Amino acid sequence: MRRLSTLLWQVAIALAALAIWEWGWTFHDRLPWLVPDLLDPYFISRPSAIFQQFLTLGCLTTSDGSWTFAQPGGFARCIGKSENNLWIATWFTLKNTLWGFLTGVSSGFLLGLLLGRSDRLSEIFFPFITAFNSIPRIALAPIIILAFGIGDASKIVTAWLVVVFLVFFNTFEGARAVDRDHINAARLLGASEWQVTRTVIVPSTMAWLFASLSPAISFSLIGVIVGEFIGAEHGIGRMIIEAEARGEAAGMMVAVFVLMVAGVILSALVRRLQAYLLRWRPAHQLGG
Amino acid sequence: MPSTPPEAVRCRIEIDRLRKNFSADGREVVAVDDASFRINDGEFVALLGPSGCGKSTILNMVATLIAPSGGAIKVDGAPAVFGKPVRHVGYVFQKDTLFPWRTVEDNVGYALEIAGVPAGERRSRVAEAIRQAGLDGFAHFYPASLSGGMRQRVSLMRTLISRPEILLMDEPFGALDTHTKLDMHSVLLSLWERQRQTVLFVTHDLGEALTLADRIILLSARPGRVKQDFRIDFPRPRDAVALRETRRYAELFSHVWHSLGEEFAKGHSA
Ligand SMILES: Nc1ncnc2c1ncn2[C@@H]1O[C@H](COP(=O)(O)OP(=O)(O)OP(=O)(O)O)[C@@H](O)[C@H]1O
Ligand SMILES: [Mg+2]
Repeated sequence: MRRLSTLLWQVAIALAALAIWEWGWTFHDRLPWLVPDLLDPYFISRPSAIFQQFLTLGCLTTSDGSWTFAQPGGFARCIGKSENNLWIATWFTLKNTLWGFLTGVSSGFLLGLLLGRSDRLSEIFFPFITAFNSIPRIALAPIIILAFGIGDASKIVTAWLVVVFLVFFNTFEGARAVDRDHINAARLLGASEWQVTRTVIVPSTMAWLFASLSPAISFSLIGVIVGEFIGAEHGIGRMIIEAEARGEAAGMMVAVFVLMVAGVILSALVRRLQAYLLRWRPAHQLGG
Repeated sequence: MPSTPPEAVRCRIEIDRLRKNFSADGREVVAVDDASFRINDGEFVALLGPSGCGKSTILNMVATLIAPSGGAIKVDGAPAVFGKPVRHVGYVFQKDTLFPWRTVEDNVGYALEIAGVPAGERRSRVAEAIRQAGLDGFAHFYPASLSGGMRQRVSLMRTLISRPEILLMDEPFGALDTHTKLDMHSVLLSLWERQRQTVLFVTHDLGEALTLADRIILLSARPGRVKQDFRIDFPRPRDAVALRETRRYAELFSHVWHSLGEEFAKGHSA
């Protein structure tokens, strides 16, 4: 009952927002004090126009409005014709996001583990890491584009840079917090140094790593989009910039919408993975 | 073993004028001062003393987890070296140290996995241990979903599975309620009476010491020294519950209690 009423509220709010978005501007001349200038479709377009644009950019309809699937090979022809259509853009953005995520998580984890378990190394390197960490990573994006070109590499490097520090700090904390008694127990059960690392330090640090996976995937997506803003041939970020140059609000909104869907799906997948990997923890500690 | 003549009995743990100072906040704390005792093969010895008298410290030094400040420890005639645990010495901690990311069976099988015992043999030994501990049906549970008593049984089996000849136990049942504790005493007695490991068992519970041990070494209040050494001559096998109703139990209890009481009193006024 409660869940149903929650759902009804949510649907109602979403519909109201869409209705204001769609028709709000028509009241602008009559009620200027009620309708802010921001509702101007020139800036934010309209749901109906955005949907139309989605069909066109996604090669589902041709520019005259007929369905591409109605004609044999219509969809493929459309995909081949436009350089940066929605599907290819999404593919490039997701691919680079995933690479940035994977490289960032694995290198951040290794680095965190290494420094977290070695007082000597962390003593030496910590000032550098703190200094690097206080640079807003996004500020480095133009330099990275300059160095790595406008291809995929620069996007992956930008995403990596954003992810690696986040994961590093989490892992570092985790590696320091490994329970001394667990290490002693393992030693007394016959484990060598390497076996202690493999069977105690890595698994208990993993718990901290997993907690950073959700933000890491979002950060990775941000890194890729910023990289694409600055210079790219493909990708959703590139689509946004192109649409902006042409003054097409609907095009930008389609891209933003696709990013939202991608973000939701990626986070949900990561959360599923996290819940599975941390299933040994009592429920109230999950994600902590 | 009672029938062997004393000359033939092998000494497994020898502690000689053992000392340990801690410096905390610039203040020296003498935790253990001049403790000496020997434990023979197959003996079950309880180390009894008030809280904070250095029981865990002694055990940790025997287990090579901390380095002594003075004196000597010999295990099977060889001097204990800090950080180099002896293979056939098992340790059951005061704290719960099960690996929370491993299931019951993977915790119990840990030592075998580390030693590279083949999976087939490992499985059957783990299954046997789980059965002995009365944990059938819980093999795939994680520690977080077990009760305190069950966790302690898993801990015990995790240590016993590699068949250590010497067993160090630090108040393993300290956190359990009276009923569960008595249960655990029965489990431990039945396991031990079959295998007869050499046991050094730390406790501050006199009843527990009387139930389980052949000898009770009474430590003084901090700094810990050996105050008295009692022989507990109840016949074996023992019944953890029935034993408590015997007259001999009551006699021994009041006998040791008198000495112990003095140390508790000192511990509180210190
Ligand atoms: N790492 C340490 N640093 C400083 N002081 C310590 C340390 N470990 C133990 N002590 C001190 O040494 C004394 C003996 O401690 P220990 O843990 O051996 O007592 P215990 O007999 O095991 O007590 P309990 O029955 O409460 O477990 C205590 O006063 C304690 O404060
Ligand atoms: Mg203790």
